[in-house]
Amino acid sequence: MAVSPVDQAVITRALIAAADEMGVKLIRSAHSPVVREAQDCSAAIMDREGRVVAQADLIPIQLGSVTHTFRACLELHPLETLEEGDFLINNDPYAGGQHLPDIFLFSPIFLDGTLIGVTATVVHHIDLGGGAPGLNPNAGDVHEEGITFPPSRYSVERDWKGGPFERLVRANVRMPEATIGDINAQFAANAVGGERLKDLCRKFGTETVFDAMDEMLDYSERRIRAAISAAPDGVYTGEAWLDDDGRGEEPVPVRATLTIDGDAIAVDFTGTADQVRTNMNSPYASSISSAIACIKAVLTDPDIPFNEGAERAITVTAPYGSILNPKPPAPVRARLLPSYRVVNSVMNALAKAVPDRVIAPGFDTTTVSCLSHRGEAGYNIYLEIFGGGFGAGAENDGCDAVDSMLSNCSNIPIEAMESDYPFFRVDDYSLRSASGGAGRQRGGMGFQRIYRILEEDVTFATYGDRFRIAPEGVFGGAPGAKAETFVERGGQKIPLASKQQFPLIPDDRLVVRTGGGGGYGPVTERASTLVSSDEHDGFEGNVA
Amino acid sequence: MRVGIEVGGTFTDLVVVDDTGVRTSKVPSTPARPDEGAMNAIDAAGIDPTEITELVHGSTVATNAVLERKGARVCLFVTKGTRDILLLQRHDRASIYDLRYRKPEPVVPRRDTFEVDERLAADGRVVRALDEAASEALVRDALAQGDYQAAAICFLHSYADPTHEEALARIIRAVAPEMTVTCSSEVTREFREYERASTTTLAAYVQPVIAGYVTRFSETLAARGFAGRFSIMQSNGGRMPAEAMARNAIAALFSGPAAGVVGAVRGVERAGYRDLITLDMGGTSTDVSLIADGEPELAAMTKIDGLPVKTPVVDIVTVGAGGGSIAWADDGGLLRAGPRSAGATPGPACYGRGGELPTITDAHLIRGTLRSDTFLGGRMDVDAEASRRVFAPLAERFGLSLEEIADSAIRLAEANIVRAIQQVSTERGRDPRDYVLVPFGGAGPLHAARVAEDLNIATVVVPPNAGVLSAAGLLLSDHVHYRARTRRLRVTAETIAEIRATVEELQEEARDYLASLGIEADARFARVLEMRYVGQAFEVAVNLGDRVLGDLSADDLSELFAEAHRRIFEFAKPHGDPVEVVSFRVGAKAPPPETVTVKTQDSPSGSAERRARLVERGEALDAALLPRQALGVSALPGPLLIEDGSSTIYVPPGWSARLDATGNVILERES
Repeated sequence: MAVSPVDQAVITRALIAAADEMGVKLIRSAHSPVVREAQDCSAAIMDREGRVVAQADLIPIQLGSVTHTFRACLELHPLETLEEGDFLINNDPYAGGQHLPDIFLFSPIFLDGTLIGVTATVVHHIDLGGGAPGLNPNAGDVHEEGITFPPSRYSVERDWKGGPFERLVRANVRMPEATIGDINAQFAANAVGGERLKDLCRKFGTETVFDAMDEMLDYSERRIRAAISAAPDGVYTGEAWLDDDGRGEEPVPVRATLTIDGDAIAVDFTGTADQVRTNMNSPYASSISSAIACIKAVLTDPDIPFNEGAERAITVTAPYGSILNPKPPAPVRARLLPSYRVVNSVMNALAKAVPDRVIAPGFDTTTVSCLSHRGEAGYNIYLEIFGGGFGAGAENDGCDAVDSMLSNCSNIPIEAMESDYPFFRVDDYSLRSASGGAGRQRGGMGFQRIYRILEEDVTFATYGDRFRIAPEGVFGGAPGAKAETFVERGGQKIPLASKQQFPLIPDDRLVVRTGGGGGYGPVTERASTLVSSDEHDGFEGNVA
Repeated sequence: MRVGIEVGGTFTDLVVVDDTGVRTSKVPSTPARPDEGAMNAIDAAGIDPTEITELVHGSTVATNAVLERKGARVCLFVTKGTRDILLLQRHDRASIYDLRYRKPEPVVPRRDTFEVDERLAADGRVVRALDEAASEALVRDALAQGDYQAAAICFLHSYADPTHEEALARIIRAVAPEMTVTCSSEVTREFREYERASTTTLAAYVQPVIAGYVTRFSETLAARGFAGRFSIMQSNGGRMPAEAMARNAIAALFSGPAAGVVGAVRGVERAGYRDLITLDMGGTSTDVSLIADGEPELAAMTKIDGLPVKTPVVDIVTVGAGGGSIAWADDGGLLRAGPRSAGATPGPACYGRGGELPTITDAHLIRGTLRSDTFLGGRMDVDAEASRRVFAPLAERFGLSLEEIADSAIRLAEANIVRAIQQVSTERGRDPRDYVLVPFGGAGPLHAARVAEDLNIATVVVPPNAGVLSAAGLLLSDHVHYRARTRRLRVTAETIAEIRATVEELQEEARDYLASLGIEADARFARVLEMRYVGQAFEVAVNLGDRVLGDLSADDLSELFAEAHRRIFEFAKPHGDPVEVVSFRVGAKAPPPETVTVKTQDSPSGSAERRARLVERGEALDAALLPRQALGVSALPGPLLIEDGSSTIYVPPGWSARLDATGNVILERES
């Protein structure tokens, strides 16, 4: 039954507002700085069939995959078997999950005994066990990365709240208070979303809300299809490269073939490298989300609600056993690295179809900086996610020092860090002059963070990329600067690899530098006012 | 004689109170020199400035200085290693799928930011002492690089110990005695360096502008013989003597909306209403706020032009739903209302000033809830035909009649307002049913009953003089000064004394500050502790209310926190889970020397009862059309349209309207 235009609009906006409220409350009640300051988490509302209808605008990569993650739960626990007070959990990269730290938690919502929808949150948890605190760059398989919660159904009252499942989690993580606190924040956010959904059903009637949800999916699908129709039909290819697999020195290719056919797009990653020994494998759900996020960002207006309807017009395939669809038990922790090359290869292909809509490649790399300390009182783990410079557009310089496009983590304030992690101090946090690729429009700059270590028993763990292969400029623009990480110890400079673990000692200075974005157009065409403005601000390197 | 003058974007409103009663005047604003508009308002009201004993002023001068980037040239001094603090910001993007995202532009560029070699640890311990001689050389060198009017200082961890910032401030003042110097620890003594640096630079940026404005206005007034007391409205809903405001301009950043809220609160307080939700609907947007027990809620942080500002601000949520909001269909076929607005120019199509897009005001003319013969009390000609013309394509697209599409657009705008109210109520654990809705601004009373209905609010209170409520609010406001401090203390039996002492200390500081300005009245205190469970990083504001400080135990405080946490997040941890205080905010409030009663003005009585045909929520209705003064204490049933000077009150079927003893129009829903 058709819902009136006004009810449709009101219900649509109310569901999006409810998802946003879930996100805000999740962040504000969470415990780990990675959630509460960095905001590495997402929230969504699903309909009674488990289809995502509304999402908080938080982390694109997490949002795209909520559906896939939930599907795996439903295969074992069909919707009609769910009861009030149940919850479903999944972090299994080989069953619709992404990487282990991202725990997806689902709460079925009932009104008068009828299932009216499901609320979902995903949080990046600070530590889930495994071979090293926070991050184990040396993991040879997924088991060394931490504990897997396969798609499962539990009862909040019986299994959580001091019950067996909560005790299992508590016993297997290094910072149980933080992990339990963050999972509680997920439960609370799910409950808030559930209340809002119930209010809507009480007000408009359950059937009207269901019909409005169906239309929300159709609406997003229509808008995505309209945008795709505007792009020229054809088969377009693109590629991008990772520096290496973290052990060897051979570049690792990601290759995309895009077929635009009317109002649909098919993306195929045949020709992409086989899966690797290290943690740089992207679970299928992550690969699909990344391709869709890139297509959405390039072709459509930012205000199209991203829900399951948006995915109907886009199909993504990747060979089983490739770095974009690995076989178990390959480790997957650094899955965002190949995910970003998915973005680059798809953007590279789209550049041939819609050159005015793309931007130059950016730093497009997640750099994880993890410092852990084992003291008298147990573990204390700091983890932050760094972006770098965005690629320049046809009419804009790339954004400086900002998280890359599949993610949207905030930094942790120095004052919060030094209060929570007394084992280090930040000596420097600054933009890297000359790191943005020169061009008519300059690539965004990367930044540097210098940590001074103050205690014994501190370990650094990291993964990153673009230490060897810089992001290219486009249409005559110069490439952005590469990343680097090193330790200054007693006058010596110890270079570190992009993926590694390294023990630190007091007075070490750990220097983490992220790269810039590629430039757009020849630098000789750069407006003189922009050149002199950069000069005044002490930014070098962007001159002819 | 007491005068309130509120300078808005379009109009400058004045309210004057003396022995003979209350008068108001309204003149066009003069955006380039707002004080001229203010003087014009004084002249238009026929006031002799020598007779003014008390002048309270609210203006958008500070806001506009930021939005138009017309503030002072500021140099910023930061801790070594943090020169790019204003450019790095928080490393996130406000729009996640925008490939061409740009961060908000700070008001101080990198070239004007200088690093000082000093460092504190998180607990305030000195890691690297500030070298006075080297700093002086640095300051001399820095000040030579530009024609700076103001200096800002933001050092890491200065919230824990401001000594270094204060030392550098002394050095700058010694080198450049004319320079305005603003320390972050003075503006907002709370952790998170980017937000604090942003606030401090904004404070320094608007300081000379406000100081110049206040001085010029004071001189003009003095030249006309004004010798009374001159004070200015702050963002927190309290006023400050003008000379103090000239030193703390950031406090005035959002003074306009705050004045309206205070006007509403004080306006209905005499009738006994203390729990209210205000709805200020104008041409482009609607501001809503929640008032519990007669005190506006304050937000600890807000943003202007994307830049964070950490000073207490009346907690107002703004939504793009106003009379000028445009109704449209997006490319997925969804009907939308706003946030784009036709503004004042070209304005709604019915204004005949070139507006060609369908707006909410046009929708009201089509529906019949606004009438061309009585628009703005009959003072403005409007073209209802134009309204029908611009709505026709939209009606066709959705297969609805003109009345139906107009009705739908208005309902969407109302739904947007409902969501804004849910943000300040439901989302913060407040049940809207416990509040009355107080609409003002030109369009507020037209939508209030339906908005109330959607929120299950049973009573709407329309105060008298709803059109000049902000100006009235100025005269009714307290003198207020806030102090804030970050001090992390776990709540235990051992620390409770220190917690109480910190509150006490801030109370004294705030009261002493008011006293130093010559405000000796008995101050009341608003005391808010920002608290959290140990391990959380976001704080929940815990209001101590009127609790006696000396009786406050650790258990009491933990319980107050648990209540507040439960209200917002729908859960609290078991009793005994460790809780900490992070920041303290204390405001001293001194009431005005005498209360002012702003009574409704008599306007010419209307003719005999008229009828109006209208379509609303899908129903054709025959409503009585009355002037406000035709209402009495016995309730009249809706549907009614009540003409009230510059606004119209709509009373839907199922609601009734009556006048109360203090001049408010009360709308009540039949139960």
